[in-house]
Amino acid sequence: MYPFGTLPDNLVAFGGFLRERHAFNIGPREIHDAARAIEIVDLRDERRVRNALRPIFSGTLREATLFDSAFTEFFFPGPPGVPQANLPHPRREADPDVDGAERTIERAAAVDEPSAEDRPRADGDPIAPLETREADAAASAITLRSSYSPLDADASESPELPRADDEWRDAARSFVRRLHLGLTRRWRPSAKGRRFDLRRTLRASLQTGGEALAPRWLKRPRRTPRVVFLIDGSRSMSEYAPTALQLAVAIAASTQRVEVFTFSTALRRVTADVRRAAAGESRRLQRLHHAWAGGTSIGACLDDFLKRFGDRMVGRDAVVMIASDGLDVGAPEMLRDAMRDLHRRSAGVVWLNPLLETSGYEPTARGMRAAKPYISTFASVADAPSLARLSRALRLRV
Amino acid sequence: MIDADAIRQKFRERGFIADEAFATALQIALALEKPLLVEGPAGVGKTESAKVLAEALGTRLIRLQCYEGLDAMAALYEWNYPRQMLHARLSESDGSTLAEREAHMFSEPFLLKRPLLDAITQERSPVLLVDEVDRADEAFEAFLLEVLAEWQVTIPELGTIRARHKPHVVVTSNRTRELSDALRRRCLFVWLPYPTREQEIEILRARVPGLSERLAEQIAQMMQVLRGLPLQKAPGVAESLDWALALMSLHRDRLDARIVEQTLGCVLKVHEDAAIVQAHRDTLTPILAGTPVRAEAGGYALDNDFGAGSVSGPRR
Repeated sequence: MYPFGTLPDNLVAFGGFLRERHAFNIGPREIHDAARAIEIVDLRDERRVRNALRPIFSGTLREATLFDSAFTEFFFPGPPGVPQANLPHPRREADPDVDGAERTIERAAAVDEPSAEDRPRADGDPIAPLETREADAAASAITLRSSYSPLDADASESPELPRADDEWRDAARSFVRRLHLGLTRRWRPSAKGRRFDLRRTLRASLQTGGEALAPRWLKRPRRTPRVVFLIDGSRSMSEYAPTALQLAVAIAASTQRVEVFTFSTALRRVTADVRRAAAGESRRLQRLHHAWAGGTSIGACLDDFLKRFGDRMVGRDAVVMIASDGLDVGAPEMLRDAMRDLHRRSAGVVWLNPLLETSGYEPTARGMRAAKPYISTFASVADAPSLARLSRALRLRV
Repeated sequence: MIDADAIRQKFRERGFIADEAFATALQIALALEKPLLVEGPAGVGKTESAKVLAEALGTRLIRLQCYEGLDAMAALYEWNYPRQMLHARLSESDGSTLAEREAHMFSEPFLLKRPLLDAITQERSPVLLVDEVDRADEAFEAFLLEVLAEWQVTIPELGTIRARHKPHVVVTSNRTRELSDALRRRCLFVWLPYPTREQEIEILRARVPGLSERLAEQIAQMMQVLRGLPLQKAPGVAESLDWALALMSLHRDRLDARIVEQTLGCVLKVHEDAAIVQAHRDTLTPILAGTPVRAEAGGYALDNDFGAGSVSGPRR
């Protein structure tokens, strides 16, 4: 049963296997705990061992879901000669919540079956022809010109994330600073405040012999906003995508509270890559899925986002930014419902549409029309000065 | 030393049906003296599990309910200022020295213990329930980590208070925000999924005595189907218990289309969800007719089920 000699060796090796193959967060402490746990449970009962080790080695739902197949893979590998990849991984496909999606990017590239990737798409619905093209002549011009999209290229040609230069950083910093979301519920001591602080006043009165001479005050600090940035990586957006990524990197450089996703026909979380790029590391982005195959299913992707990450990321302190041209091939009702949900749950939805730059553009495409009522601020950001302009024009719910 | 089977047995006696994975996680957490982080969809009994654990161990439950704006003072201790002030005024003329008065005023009788301090000053290890830790802000999470690691609290006027008996800690989270890696690593993690159909019937039987077999079966089946639908608020165990009680008080022993429509408010808490259920009425009809159906394993909630009954992977 054991690939390695002794039990402790096996635990260490198993820990390493989980860490390297499945990106678990495992250190010496977990190994130590596991060794103690093994002493407690009946080693002959495999299920108990699984149940005992699972809470120790896993820290998130993703990891807990992956654990069983990893356990089997490690302790019960297939007969010699059978490649590991052919082993069934019943849990892998059913992995519903890509909790640390940034960690699973490598994994997703390996397990790239279309069946799993296509899940968010409205089933049975063949990709409808882009009837919106007539409505948006400008859009089709862009689509025609972009015969090559950096985001869609092969993994070998994956686009490099742009670094944020000083101008972008300054603009992003003032943008984040201008996201006013009102005050938190927490009281903080402060020189000038709205609420009398009895505790600190009395504590200070000890210095003056019990006579409270200097009143102390409390105030409510401002809410720190969280930015959720969803970038359309489809073909029609290929010209604008680098700018949107630049913006994402610049925002990530000015606040920790940012989440970045890309979507075309499927949603992918790229927060970790964007954060690293913001820290000055050069990062390549894995290619987006099947973006060549058709247009964007914005509605399905937003819906997928809400289901998987909505509870954790969209709240009263979240500003949702969507960079997309609104050329949606899915059902407009789906986009409308997703937008309504986003609008209702967040502090505001900012839609960045590159087509706004085109003179005479009207948001008449089906998708755009469906989304329009739920957009708090409709704008386009092409460079750092326009980001500064956007921060002045923002309309958020407080 | 309490083992997983004993835990399951004791939980069952108190109407909490725990699966093997959850019981083992509790056993390991107790044995390793580590906090247990329980995550799961709303209404599966995360909070209840801590209450039952306290009962099963015959110890006190101390609950720290987290909320936005919760700060260290509300969680740890506070001096009883009004009482101190009163005492200062009254003892002005009793001839005691300043030092004596001060020492007296900053002593235990004037200390208001909040849950965390309360938990570490118990004579027996209590169960400390840190409920909905995701509602507190990040700053509080960091503070909590410190207490959970050291089990000591320093009060400037009194000195350091160290726990004589480490509390058993259960931390619950509804995942309204991402918890820090540090907190996750400090805890053992267990996911409490929705119960399977069999478990749910068992729960209903344990918690609602007098419920007819048939009704329990029907409710459990309905729940399986409802949780598979793309609802905004999928019903939890709390909802099925509510529903069972409601049906009992209406003296029903079986479900039919009309009564379902009348009482669906016990189960669905969002208006839009009712419309979704209406649209999927066909899937519910066989349950009402009494023919057993298998729940389709669709939807996000059911995918998460990796309870004891479904340990996966080839075995030999």
